[in-house]
Amino acid sequence: MKMFRKHFGNLSRVSTQLQRNVLQLSTNAEASPVEGTAAASVNEFRTAVANPGEHSALHVAKFYTIPVEQKKQIFTGGGLPKQYEQQIKTFTESCLMVRSPALELLHYIKNADLTKPVVRYVLYGDNGVGKTLTMAHVLHYGAINDFLLVHVPWAPNWMKRPKEASNATQEGMLDLPFDAAAWLVHFKTQNAKLLQQLQLKTSKEYVWSKRESTPAGSTLIELVEHGISRIKYATETTVALISELKQLSTAGQCKVMVAIDGFNAFFHPETRIFSDNKQRVTPDRITLTQPFLDITSYDWTNGVCILSVDKLAMTEGYMDSYMPRYLLGTAGFEHIDPFVPVHVDNYTDKEFHSYINYYLDRHWINKTPKGFEEQLKFMSNKNPYTLMQLVKSL
Amino acid sequence: MAASLTRLLERSLRTTHAPQSSVRLFSNGSQKQQQQQPEVEDEEEFRVLNLRPVKQQFQRRRDIRRDDVTPPRTTRMAVDQDWTAAWPGPRSFHPASVPLPLRQGFTERGAAAPSKFANAELMKIPNFLHLTPPAIRQQCEAIKKFCTPWPKGLETEAKWKPHFPVEVITTDYCQSLPTVRNPEARRVTVSLKLSDLKFDNHARDKFLRLVGERYNKETDVLTFVTDRCPLRKQNYDYALYLLTACYHESFVTEPWEATKSEADMELYLFERNQAKRSAEAILNWNAAEGAPKKAASASYAQCVEQLINEGENEYNLAKYKEEVMKMLNVAAQ
Repeated sequence: MKMFRKHFGNLSRVSTQLQRNVLQLSTNAEASPVEGTAAASVNEFRTAVANPGEHSALHVAKFYTIPVEQKKQIFTGGGLPKQYEQQIKTFTESCLMVRSPALELLHYIKNADLTKPVVRYVLYGDNGVGKTLTMAHVLHYGAINDFLLVHVPWAPNWMKRPKEASNATQEGMLDLPFDAAAWLVHFKTQNAKLLQQLQLKTSKEYVWSKRESTPAGSTLIELVEHGISRIKYATETTVALISELKQLSTAGQCKVMVAIDGFNAFFHPETRIFSDNKQRVTPDRITLTQPFLDITSYDWTNGVCILSVDKLAMTEGYMDSYMPRYLLGTAGFEHIDPFVPVHVDNYTDKEFHSYINYYLDRHWINKTPKGFEEQLKFMSNKNPYTLMQLVKSL
Repeated sequence: MAASLTRLLERSLRTTHAPQSSVRLFSNGSQKQQQQQPEVEDEEEFRVLNLRPVKQQFQRRRDIRRDDVTPPRTTRMAVDQDWTAAWPGPRSFHPASVPLPLRQGFTERGAAAPSKFANAELMKIPNFLHLTPPAIRQQCEAIKKFCTPWPKGLETEAKWKPHFPVEVITTDYCQSLPTVRNPEARRVTVSLKLSDLKFDNHARDKFLRLVGERYNKETDVLTFVTDRCPLRKQNYDYALYLLTACYHESFVTEPWEATKSEADMELYLFERNQAKRSAEAILNWNAAEGAPKKAASASYAQCVEQLINEGENEYNLAKYKEEVMKMLNVAAQ
């Protein structure tokens, strides 16, 4: 009951906030555009530049807003941490802070030579430092700049809590049909517009069963939709789709941005999936692993790979360090070597200050006794996730 | 009224008692006489019949004569006496021989610690009263005549170490037994620094595998302990044989050594790993047929080896990143 009241309190607070925003918006709309930008620049922790491609060192530690439609397009199927999603909902705006790892990645991607084999970028860092949000920032860039997104929001979900596992046609392999279909839906929502535009065609005929097949020259959308409607073949469709994407991008027909969060889950010693003889299977016996390992190897061009390795993707006993080679293991390291490691760290002082300002602006922090910022800094160690947890109750 | 009546009665009673007491006095005397009579009768009644009269032996307990405690020796000690003569060897503490006002032990609060006499605490602890500086000096003087002068040019350890790389440790035992042999004396320890031996990469690896845990990685010292032969000489010879045999064996390459797989490698080598293959594949991407093959740079190879052999840390990873970016032409910020 008490909790409910608390929530209710929050809700009412949000609603007043909403009203205030609406008021602001209406005044802004009435005022001239020059005044509008001036009003935006009053908040020194915000930037009006909503295109990640234009972000530079000037915008470090500033918040930019992802337009609602784009957010819907990119992150409907996941991609933002759950808690952050809630925060976005509460603040009624999807703001991301421009941080240096994302800028570094964007710089690499912008200056990349796409005729060369794909470069694998590996985000690594401690728990809750913002690897996923860095990836989200880059994904936003990719979505705007006509990259086909091959985005796995959280790979360990497949290994840890799959919807259903069934035997694959291949001996000894296991299918995750529902998860594969969910991923296909995610792929479709992210890339529907671009796929329509590019009209990418399959290179060969895919025969699913005696009566079902996808003929050569059908569009990728048809392929994806078949996978979604015939869930039994979702995994095989994923394999087909990804090999097609590799071929098409190597042929120069499209650009592909691969973003896999929790990539090391593919190399975890075991999964929580049980085979017929009640034994845990290894990730390499999951059919869904194959296409994503395939697309993260270096044998194709015209794309970028952004992978993140995360302690949380592992299970107990394998979580001693957040360094990429430890998390990937020998096989994983060999698979993605040579890669560019990108370290995501805790907030800098500037970023921390900016975040506190943002929370104050959103009226999320109401109690501001003297020195509260220092205290928060000390208690959270400038760790983004810890800070988010701490200010919940303020 | 009643009170005066009782008083009268009491008085009359007392007067009536008086003649009785006088009678009793008389009777007392007669009683004495009566008592003497039964004693005589007792002796006659309970005579002991001694059939075998035994002489009564009065065994007096012998007094153990103890000598008087002599005053402690310390009282007679001269101030400038030769202490090494008073206390020549290791011995547990004796209060009368040590002219020091020692106190040791626990007592109640505020009281002085127990004195040295009859003090078990002082006897329990080992003492070094036989190793006073004059005693040591005296003993050194005594054995000096058996010593030879130290060789010139070998004054410091740094100077003599290269000449004597092998260290041999044996132990002699003195004992009071009918035999002078001690089985422990056969044990021989031969140790040397591995850096004093010359190896190539293969030989060094093989040698370390042959000697196993006899090699201490931290100190770089190789140690052979031999005790399987009955005599010290034999054990010494055996230790040197082991050293020689292992050393020469390590230079032999057996045909089966070529089958060493990646899992058997003690070190990560860039040359024989996937890292090299992928790096070359990326560098030679879309290269024309017959074009010279590009190889990964030596610095890249080195940093990969370092990353894996030394383990991951921020420094190694940063170096790896730098090299990868150089190799893949990723524009740095």
